[in-house]
Amino acid sequence: MKILVIEDEEELSKSIVAYLKAENYTCEVASDFRTAMEKTESFDYDCILLDISLPDGNGLQVLKELKANHKTDGVIIISAKDSMNDRIAGLNLGADDYLPKPFHLPELSARIAAVIRRRRFDGSSVFTLNEFTFDTNAKTVKVLGKPVDLTRTEYDLLLYLVSNKNRVVSKNAIAERISGDEAEIFDNFDFLYAHMKNLKKKLAAAGSEDYIKAIYGMGYKFEI
Amino acid sequence: MQLLKKTITAYFIFSVILLLVSIPVFYWTLKRLMVANVDENLIATKTRIMPQLLDAAAGNKEGVLRFPGSGYDILFEKEGARKETHPQQQAERKTDSLYNSESTDSHPGSTLPNRLLASHFYINQESYSLRITTSLADKYLLIQRIVLVSALLLVALLVGLLVINRMLTKKIWQPFYNTLQRLREYRVDRQPKLTLQPSSISEFNDLNTAIEQLAERNYQVYSSQKEFTENASHEMQSPLAVFQSKLELLMQTKPLNEDQAALITDLANASKRMARLNKSLILLTKIDNDQFIEKETVAIKEILQKLIQQYEFQIQQQGIHLRFQDAQDITVTANRTLVEILLGNLLSNAIRHNIPNGSIEISLQAQDRELIIRNTGRPSALDTQKLFQRFQKESPDANSIGLGLEIVKKISTLNHFSIQYHFSDQLHSFSLRF
Repeated sequence: MKILVIEDEEELSKSIVAYLKAENYTCEVASDFRTAMEKTESFDYDCILLDISLPDGNGLQVLKELKANHKTDGVIIISAKDSMNDRIAGLNLGADDYLPKPFHLPELSARIAAVIRRRRFDGSSVFTLNEFTFDTNAKTVKVLGKPVDLTRTEYDLLLYLVSNKNRVVSKNAIAERISGDEAEIFDNFDFLYAHMKNLKKKLAAAGSEDYIKAIYGMGYKFEI
Repeated sequence: MQLLKKTITAYFIFSVILLLVSIPVFYWTLKRLMVANVDENLIATKTRIMPQLLDAAAGNKEGVLRFPGSGYDILFEKEGARKETHPQQQAERKTDSLYNSESTDSHPGSTLPNRLLASHFYINQESYSLRITTSLADKYLLIQRIVLVSALLLVALLVGLLVINRMLTKKIWQPFYNTLQRLREYRVDRQPKLTLQPSSISEFNDLNTAIEQLAERNYQVYSSQKEFTENASHEMQSPLAVFQSKLELLMQTKPLNEDQAALITDLANASKRMARLNKSLILLTKIDNDQFIEKETVAIKEILQKLIQQYEFQIQQQGIHLRFQDAQDITVTANRTLVEILLGNLLSNAIRHNIPNGSIEISLQAQDRELIIRNTGRPSALDTQKLFQRFQKESPDANSIGLGLEIVKKISTLNHFSIQYHFSDQLHSFSLRF
């Protein structure tokens, strides 16, 4: 799968590329508006990460061109300006998602995975991974064909870890994922431990292997 | 009108003193002049009638000699033969004595003032006395009238001056009061320019120009400072994103031991705090820049219920007993995001700064349009002076960034809500009046 990272901050694009490598994505980088236009015109990508503020142009223009040429590349806007207007403008122009900086790489990875899933499976929202079968529309998961009764949070948590499989996902990233702004207010991961404990218990009961590993109190990893 | 009053009071005091002093002085001076005049006339009359007196003495007419119709009562009497010359009498001879006397009036009880010239002299060794009397009543009346008329004129003059002065001062100072009014209404964060009415008085024009320039400079300083905060916090986002992403890559490195993992976690927490601080600063500048324009009808109860649900885990975790007095709802017209942030900050503060097994009491009072959040916490009141200022944290909680209540205050001010803090019965209470 091909991903284009349009981002003028070199270090950030390097990090993104390095992180996404584990997912076997092919990543290309465009660090300015001109290169971005050239690449998007010449090639098709499964997902484009688009920074709005580029040194020589507005990232939204790239998006406009894509849509004008009826390209179906998925687009996630990554912006330093978390402004409602940018968000609305981007989504109205046909962006698939909007992620304000600074973001967690696992979050980005999960969103890319979601965008690609939506585009790739052409209506089918089901994918499998070992003994798991996910239905991302119904938000359900089956282990060995049998449905597991997970709460919404537990499902989100599992899908998040799966989207970042074989990589450590920090507690902060998970906390932000499952509770949004609340995680920013309370530096308290007790709720996270509680959810994780329940999830592992339910998966074990359904007969799944124990893939979820705690990494020294730093975070969790879904190891396959 | 302090200034007006002050100048007018000075004028008024001077006028009253002038009136009180000048009228008696005027009266007294006039009276002195009049008496001097009457005396001169009396002496002149005496000189004038002297030949007649000599005739009368030659005619040996003794007793009273009257000259009716001259306005003077003249009494001429023979006193007797000349006595031995005595030094004193010698001296007396030359003296005319002038003095006041009184005569009874036709009205009983009242007297009429007279001026009297008494003279003693000798004609042919005989001693005579002469008394010329003239009435002062008419002249006194005249003086009184003159003084009265003058006093009235003086009073009219002073009153007129005061009134004109007051009117003129009022008119002259009008541009000043206009300027003052505009200055009172001036808000540096609302108006880039202050335009003042031109005045016909150059001093006020100078003042207006100076104030306009000051306002303009203020606005420039204000906007460049605002821009700086805005740019600084936006520019911070990129390095923060880099920092956070590198930390997350660092987490993936192998081998990784426990010490390294602990260090990375600490860094990740610090980076999270930085990100949150920055986010709050951006929110503040956004509020300052009026970037939350969309307004809608927001139901307070609904937002509170949503927030309570969101914080449910934290509330349970700390064993906090929460009581939500589910009264009537209050609706406000405001930006929903801002109201959510406002209430979220108040509620999360009540949870975070609470004690284990403490309590939170939320009451919505539809009648007063007031929301009160009371919570247990540390056993002493917070410093109300510093409470709503930025970075004035009173809690040792490292997680607190010291901007929450500043944001609360900003949002309240923007929406004309009033927020107040009280501490009583060991309960911290924030009341928000919509």
